[in-house]
Amino acid sequence: MKRSELLTRILITVAVLGAVGTPLFLWARTPLIHAKVAEDGGWSPDVIRANAGEPLTLHLTSDDVVHGFAVGQMDMQGVDVLPGKVADITLTFDKPGIYTFYCTRWCGLNHWRMRGTIEVSGSNVDTQPVPAPLYVSLGLDIDAPHDAPILPSQKPSAIRGQKFSTNLPILQSPDFYRSHSPYQLFDELTSTSFTESQRWDVVAYVWQSNATPESLANGQRLYAQNCAACHGENGAGNGVFADDLAASGESSMQTMTGSEDMMMQTPVDFTDPARMLGASPALLQGKILRGGMGTGMPMWGSIFTEEQIWDLVAYLYSFQFNYQGAVR
Amino acid sequence: MNSRFFLLLLAAAGLVVAFAPFPVQSIAPQERTFRIEARQFAYSPSEFKVNPGDTVTIQLVSADVVHGLYVDGYNISVEADPGQTASLTFIADKPGSFRFRCNVTCGAMHPFMIGRLTVGTNSWLFRSIGLAVLGLIGFFPFSFHKERMLVEKR
Amino acid sequence: MSNRIEFTRSPFIKNALKSRYPQLAVFIVMLIGYIFAILAGLIGTPVGSRNFSIVFVWIAWWAILILVAVPFFGRGWCAVCPIPLPGEWLQRGAILRPERSGAKSKGRGLNLRWPKSLRNIWMQNISFLLLALFSSVLLTTPNITSIVLAAMLFAAIGLSMVFERRAFCRYLCPVGGFIGLYSQTAPIELRIKNKQVCVTCEGKPCYNGASTLGFPLRGLRDTPPFGKRGLLDSPLPRRTLGLRSANSGYGCPWDVFPGGLTKNTYCGLCMECIRTCPHDNIAINLRPFSADLAKPSTRIDEAFKAFIMLGSAMIYAGVLLGPWGALKDAAYNVGTSAWFTYAVVFLAIIFVILPGFFTLGILKTKSVLSLKQRFASLATALIPLGLMFWVAFSLSFVLTNATYIFASLSDPLGLGWNLFGTANAAWQPMLISVLAPAQTLALVGGLIWSARTAQKAASEIKTSSIPVIIFCFAATLVMLWLLL
Repeated sequence: MKRSELLTRILITVAVLGAVGTPLFLWARTPLIHAKVAEDGGWSPDVIRANAGEPLTLHLTSDDVVHGFAVGQMDMQGVDVLPGKVADITLTFDKPGIYTFYCTRWCGLNHWRMRGTIEVSGSNVDTQPVPAPLYVSLGLDIDAPHDAPILPSQKPSAIRGQKFSTNLPILQSPDFYRSHSPYQLFDELTSTSFTESQRWDVVAYVWQSNATPESLANGQRLYAQNCAACHGENGAGNGVFADDLAASGESSMQTMTGSEDMMMQTPVDFTDPARMLGASPALLQGKILRGGMGTGMPMWGSIFTEEQIWDLVAYLYSFQFNYQGAVR
Repeated sequence: MNSRFFLLLLAAAGLVVAFAPFPVQSIAPQERTFRIEARQFAYSPSEFKVNPGDTVTIQLVSADVVHGLYVDGYNISVEADPGQTASLTFIADKPGSFRFRCNVTCGAMHPFMIGRLTVGTNSWLFRSIGLAVLGLIGFFPFSFHKERMLVEKR
Repeated sequence: MSNRIEFTRSPFIKNALKSRYPQLAVFIVMLIGYIFAILAGLIGTPVGSRNFSIVFVWIAWWAILILVAVPFFGRGWCAVCPIPLPGEWLQRGAILRPERSGAKSKGRGLNLRWPKSLRNIWMQNISFLLLALFSSVLLTTPNITSIVLAAMLFAAIGLSMVFERRAFCRYLCPVGGFIGLYSQTAPIELRIKNKQVCVTCEGKPCYNGASTLGFPLRGLRDTPPFGKRGLLDSPLPRRTLGLRSANSGYGCPWDVFPGGLTKNTYCGLCMECIRTCPHDNIAINLRPFSADLAKPSTRIDEAFKAFIMLGSAMIYAGVLLGPWGALKDAAYNVGTSAWFTYAVVFLAIIFVILPGFFTLGILKTKSVLSLKQRFASLATALIPLGLMFWVAFSLSFVLTNATYIFASLSDPLGLGWNLFGTANAAWQPMLISVLAPAQTLALVGGLIWSARTAQKAASEIKTSSIPVIIFCFAATLVMLWLLL
């Protein structure tokens, strides 16, 4: 063989091996967390291990559509995970435990199923017991029907209600507000001299006085990001996925033997007064915390902080009441 | 007819067809709102018409994943998450037909998620058809001349 | 040949083509790019717009191919395409020139002749249509693109091992089919300089090769008085026998005898004959556009290729660039009943509707030729039209998505690299204001060009060109409506 031929062969072999080997080597050394819609597998990997107190850097990428990344109960700003791009985020966990990370940008009907866990190990194991949520300590059955039997004839107004409330010694404490439904307060006011409509206005005022403008604004933001796609931007239960949910409920009924209340349902209508005025904040908190258990309503307990849930609950009542300087 | 003169005439006609101002009947500008639902990989409605000068508001509703809407020629865009209707308002001051397309990667067929906005008449289409006709008109006398000679020879 | 300008008259160009090294350097770059594209599709991000395989194949390469290479250089892409190389190197047993003397060919493979019944471009028509029917998936899915690229590479290797020369390029390559058809319009050609030289040339080394034994005529090399204990097997030095191998090169890899070239269709511009020809009789010429179309082809496979390309451009313009979501769903969801409907309609447009209208148009025209012959000859007019349809369609797709190239250059696998600082280049359509005028120019220009071609073809077979021109006009109207 001539020298030129030999050299050419060597050159080509090296070039081809380099073209294959270099990217392969670099690829193998770049561990990415891939995001895909839940139907295609969600997060991969979906379990991440870390040590308490040590910074954890994650490289996130999406394999299909726009996703987002955030860790539950950390009150952090989510990171957008864009298709084919890599987003870096560094987290430090102070306490050991199991954290939930989740997708923050709606990516289909099963968006909320896109969750994973970060297992943080460490020596200072937190033995403090988590206090039971309010609906549990109150013994509420959050799946029982709770419709208000009497409904206001017009939308209750906190502005009007304020005028009547001045000489009422009630019950401004958060504990009362959280454990009572609007109807229960309305009922307790029977002994007063107010008309029905006035009593509803007082209720509206009490509910508003338990919500700061900041918490309502925060609740509104959380609602738009997490709830509106199903429950509708106006709360009427007619979000863009409402029909898909109902349809997938019907199809699941054909293939599964399940009880009616365990199937995917159309989302709850927050503009329905019977339902909302009969529900206490504790009950709504319970629904959000625990989720709908198979109805398509996600479990938010591992995602939202307690504060965030109360903000959200406060915002939900704004579909029923006219608030002063109202957010809506 | 002198063929060079004829060609010159033709070129002039072509320029007129391509660039002469189109007669437009002016319609009082209106405010128009369109609710456009975006799903992988189509808009609904995917075609809409406005008049030149209209103030157009597009309310973009994403019904599955995050989508965008970018209007070719106007170079404006909006992005909507499911559950968060986004709106885009602009004055339709450029007449013609424009594609609008998704500008947020939304899956495999994303590059082909396309709709069409027509402002006034799609005059360029008619101008182009005119140019095509003109091109053939200019072409025919020459070709026929040759063809006839050929046939006569035969 | 007064209207030709011979490039190879320049010693610089001639030497650059005669030497194997400049082309080899391009080959190596292309081969690396090709293999990297295969790898990128398999290990890189599944998001097409951020993956090298999709962006560099279907945006960058496609743009260069259809907007520059084919219209101006004909088979210029084939001259640098890496697909046939590994197979050809194995087949030859060498990367560079053949051994000058003595040693036996180290080539491997059976070197069979390609079957006679397949000596046409129907296989290419079929392979193009196969890809075309899956194109929505192919264009958008990196690993599918990789599989197709790898399959082409391995098919080329496999065919090189079984058949002689570049059987894949000539008879199977889905891209090569239409490049060949449209290369007839290009202003570049490879032709012989002087016919007489070829007539008297001994052994035709440009076709048979002038390599292994220093004896050009392959067929005679094993028969007496040359081979098999003849002169060639004698211990005498070859030079004494007067056997020349001054210009050692291989016989035409495209199975074409350069001396007989009248059109570009099957000449792959591989430049091998320039190296092989002992009489320096091969030229690369600049010539008028579409010179080959003056003499219309009479082959029905080429006529249908013209219809396939014309129809596909129109269908793509409607499906991919139109506002009809249901069509896109049908084209993308391979295997569903909607897709089968799409496939049937696709094939019907190409094989029934377009040729049907065309045939109806020319049915009653006066001619001494049979309908089939008229059909094949007059379909020549669709070649410039189809090319310009593709140009107009591709302009829209390419200008809209060209910015992906910058991002993909810096982060070809979607691993978060930023090699050239352009990884975060935002998507932004380019030159949108000139797009529609450019498309009109292409389509109207294509129409006039094809009308002229129709007229030439018709006068060649002494029939009327008017039905063909009307057909082209109607197709142009549809395309204008779809694109503008």
